[in-house]
Amino acid sequence: MLVAAVRRRAWWILLGVVLFAAAAFLPFVTTPFYVRVGQLVLLSSALGLAWTLLGGFAGYWSFGNSAFIGLGAFAAGIFEVELMKGQPWLGFALGLLLGAAISGLAASVVAWPILRLRGIYFAVAMLGISQVLAELNNNIDIFKGSMGLVLPRLSAFGLRPEALYFYLLLIATILITILAFAIQHSRIGAGLMAIREDEDTARMLGVPTERYKVTMFIASAALTGALGVIYAHSLGYITTSSVYRTEFSLNMIVYNLLGGIGTLIGPFLGSAIMVILTQVVLGRLLSIHMFVTGALLVLLVLVAPKGITGLVRALRQRWSAR
Amino acid sequence: MSEPILRLDHVTKRFRGLVATNDVSFEVPEGSICSLIGPNGAGKSTIFNLVTGYLPVSEGSIHFQGRRIEGTPTTDLARAGIARCFQIAKPFPELSVHDNVRIGALFGRDGARDIGAVTRDAMALAGLTERAQTPASELTVGYLRRLELARAIAARPILLLADEPCAGLNATETEDVIDILRDVRARGVTVLLVEHDMQAVMRVSDRIFVIDAGRKIAEGPPEAVANDPHVIAAYLGTDEE
Repeated sequence: MLVAAVRRRAWWILLGVVLFAAAAFLPFVTTPFYVRVGQLVLLSSALGLAWTLLGGFAGYWSFGNSAFIGLGAFAAGIFEVELMKGQPWLGFALGLLLGAAISGLAASVVAWPILRLRGIYFAVAMLGISQVLAELNNNIDIFKGSMGLVLPRLSAFGLRPEALYFYLLLIATILITILAFAIQHSRIGAGLMAIREDEDTARMLGVPTERYKVTMFIASAALTGALGVIYAHSLGYITTSSVYRTEFSLNMIVYNLLGGIGTLIGPFLGSAIMVILTQVVLGRLLSIHMFVTGALLVLLVLVAPKGITGLVRALRQRWSAR
Repeated sequence: MSEPILRLDHVTKRFRGLVATNDVSFEVPEGSICSLIGPNGAGKSTIFNLVTGYLPVSEGSIHFQGRRIEGTPTTDLARAGIARCFQIAKPFPELSVHDNVRIGALFGRDGARDIGAVTRDAMALAGLTERAQTPASELTVGYLRRLELARAIAARPILLLADEPCAGLNATETEDVIDILRDVRARGVTVLLVEHDMQAVMRVSDRIFVIDAGRKIAEGPPEAVANDPHVIAAYLGTDEE
C-alpha cells in the first residue's frame, strides 16, 4: 500500500526532496533575519503537520495544541536544568524524548473522556485544557513558569545559533513529513478519513474508531511536545507566556485551513504564505500589520474556502470541463 | 441440520416502558435470503440494530455462526463478517466511489490480501465500475444504494443485513438491486432483508418473518406468508375494527 502510494506520488516526493535540500542552503546564502523567518516557517509547518494528524485526517480539531508545546518545553527544560548540567547535547536528546513522552502521556490521560466529544465540543475541551495547564504552569512555583527558565546553550560545528536551530527544525520537519505521509497512505489513514467523513458509518464498517483517534491524538501531542522542546531551546529563555501561547493553537488551524486541510502540502503553503507576509512584507508596516493580516485572511476564506489546494483543484476541474 | 448463520432466541428490547422487540425468535439458514416485513414501526430496524450490536438486547440471545454475540461491539461484529447497508445511504460524501468501497474492503472480514482486486470486484458486482472516480456526493439515489451495497460486499461478509435497499427506487432500479442481492447470495453470502416493496420481497426471499408491534406473527415461505390471515390482518386491519 505504502509502496504503491510512493510510486504514484513520485513527482511530489521528488519536489519535496529538492525543496528540503534547497532549504538546507538557506543559512549560507542569506542574512540571519531570513534564517529566522525560515525557522518560523519550518516550525509552523511541522506544528501544522502534527496538528493535522488528528485535525486534518480525522476531523477532530484541537484548539489547544499549544498545551503540548508548553508541556514539552517545560518538561525538558526543568529536566535539563536540574539534572543535565554540563551535558547540553545529551540533555537535549533526552529532553526531546521526555518532552514527547510527557505530552503523549497527558494526551492519553485526557483522550478517553474528551475524544468521545465530537466536533466543536472536542475543540472547546482542548482550548480549556490548554488554559488550565498554562495557569498551573504559571502559578505553581516548581514549574518555574512565572520566573522563567534559562535553558542550556547548544552549539555544534561552529554554527550560529539561528542556523543551528534552523537545521534542527529542518530535520524535525522532514521526519514528521515522512511519518505523516506513511500514516496518510496506510490502513489507519484510510480509517481516519472514514472517521472524518462519518464516524458512525466508519464504525459500522469495522474501523476501530476509538483506538485510531486515541493513537493519533497521542502521536500528534508527542510530536508537538518534541517541537516545543526545540522551540524552547531556540528561545533560550522560556516563561509560561512564551510557550503556552493560544496564538500557536490558532495558527496551526489557520495555516492548515489556508493551505488546504487534510493535505500534507497545506501546512507548508499556509505557513510559508502567512509567515512571509506577516514577518517580511508587512514587517515594515507595523501600524497596519494586524489589520492587513486579518483582512487577507477574510479574503482568502472567501476566495478559497477549501484552502489553496482546494482552489487549485477547483480551477483545474473548471479548466478540464471546458 | 446445519447450524443457522443467525439465530435469535426470545429476543426482547425495551426502551424504558416501550417494548420495541417482544420475545422474537427466528433462524436464518446459511446461503438463504430471508426477509423481515411488517408495518412501519413494527420493530424491524430495531432487530437490525440489535444484531449489529448498535443497541444492547434486554433479554434473550443472538447467535451468529453458533457463537453468542449480544454485547459484542459493532466494530468487532463487522470484522467477524456482519455487514449492514442503511436505508438512508450513508456514503463518505467527499470520497470517490472507489475510495468509499475501498474502505469497506480495508476494514472488512479478516484483512484481504489484495484490496485493489476486492474493491474492483465489489464495484463491478454493483455496476459501479464506470463511476469509480465520481465523488459520492454527486450520485443519484439509485447509485447511492448501489454504493451502499458495494461497500458492504467489499467487506466480504458472511451475513449481509440490507435495510430497505429498494426504498425510493423506480421499477428498473429495484430490479437492479434484486439482481445484485441474488449475485451476492450466489457467492455464498447469507442475506437478511428489511423491505417494504412487497413485490421485491416475494420474489427474492426464501423465507419471510412477519413482525407486528414488536412480535413475530408469522413465518414461512413467501406464498404461505402472503395468504396467512394474521399477516393480512396486520397489513389491512380486521373487519371488527
